[in-house]
Amino acid sequence: MNDTISKYKIGDAVMVAAENPTGNPRTPRYIRGKRGVIGLVHGVLENIRDHRGIHKPLYTVKFDLSEVSTCHDQDSIWVDVHEEWLSEVRPDS
Amino acid sequence: MSGKHGHKPFEGHMHDYLAHIKAVEEDLEYYRAKRFEPRIFYLLRRGVVTFYDLLKVRSTLKRKDHFFEIAKPQGKNIEARVRYLEEWLDEYVKGIALVSARTVEGMDMVTEDNRKERGDYDDFFKIKKKEHHGTLEERMVNVERDLNDYQELLEVFVQALIKRGWATREDLAQRWKQLHEERPWAGGVIVAKAWTDPEFKHALLTTGREALREMGVHQGKVGKLVVVENTDIVHNVIVCTLCSCYPYDILGDTPWWYKHESYRTNIVQNPRACVKEMFQLEISPGKELQVWDSTSDVRYFVLPQRPEGTEGMSEAELAKLVTVDSLIGAGYALEPAQLSAREAAHVEPEMPRVRPD
Repeated sequence: MNDTISKYKIGDAVMVAAENPTGNPRTPRYIRGKRGVIGLVHGVLENIRDHRGIHKPLYTVKFDLSEVSTCHDQDSIWVDVHEEWLSEVRPDS
Repeated sequence: MSGKHGHKPFEGHMHDYLAHIKAVEEDLEYYRAKRFEPRIFYLLRRGVVTFYDLLKVRSTLKRKDHFFEIAKPQGKNIEARVRYLEEWLDEYVKGIALVSARTVEGMDMVTEDNRKERGDYDDFFKIKKKEHHGTLEERMVNVERDLNDYQELLEVFVQALIKRGWATREDLAQRWKQLHEERPWAGGVIVAKAWTDPEFKHALLTTGREALREMGVHQGKVGKLVVVENTDIVHNVIVCTLCSCYPYDILGDTPWWYKHESYRTNIVQNPRACVKEMFQLEISPGKELQVWDSTSDVRYFVLPQRPEGTEGMSEAELAKLVTVDSLIGAGYALEPAQLSAREAAHVEPEMPRVRPD
């Protein structure tokens, strides 16, 4: 793991791409096009049992439950997302 | 397999046969459609084994040459028959592990291949699972018949691998033996240590696997481990909405419902209602519920809160309070009185099977 290669840091506001940007399918549909905040930064992880090759840096993104579902409880969903799926969101936009 | 039937014989009595059989049905279909048949398709597509190999093996195979031996039930009563089906399911799952990994040189199937092959990303490739209905007796008869069919295909598949020269019977026998060497479930010990040793707890929450390695807990190579702590203000729940990722190399098999679509869908749509309906957990309004969806290289488990009234208890005593569900956030650790009540009623302790990688 190497933090210097991760583009985002904890607390950054991000948006998940609506469409699959590079063919990496490990981003569930319910968060596509949704906004969240970087919760954990994992860097690049090697995981030879799960897949070949190395993916882009990985983050755990925190979403308000109301952003990703029709439920309005003040709860949160934390989802692992690779960097190519994310773009920066200005806090006031 | 579910922790509910990951038992050792004579440790306790079963209380709900139907629940046991339903767990067997779920797991049986899961392992057939999500593990075994995708593996067959993967090798068929690459010409490693063909349909015709399977047919030829099937027509000439003699009973005495079978690779797998399935023990007969230890009695005719319902409990003995349920246990027999559970043990058989366990052998079937081990048999799938035998042919899933490293049996064919250069044809290693990483988890990602399996996910594609079984349709995690494309419904077109989904293999239909059977639905089960009927009385307990009907369901037991059906499960036995399915197990018989599924086991036969597994047998024929193994024989075809041997016949085509992809594996030797001796190597498979050696690996089969290894697959039966179970390791003790470490969930209780890890949590009890975290409850009593603040330094270890800090290490566990910040370094995950490294802390476990120092503690001497055996583990495989299944991604990064993140442990999330339940507190007075946060209740954590774990899920994998894309498939069923779980730190099984440390914590053994998941309960059957963890892999079930209803849990995987509902827990991210309406978590409070989901944990209330499925696990009878009422999360107080003052607590934030955090759902962790392990969609990639991270595996999660929950560090449950230490129950009230456990001051002065030893680590060994505390470890008994830790349930499989509490590590997913689908339950709490037991209070001492709850454990005593379970012991008095001879309820079998939950003890998932942890198999070699």
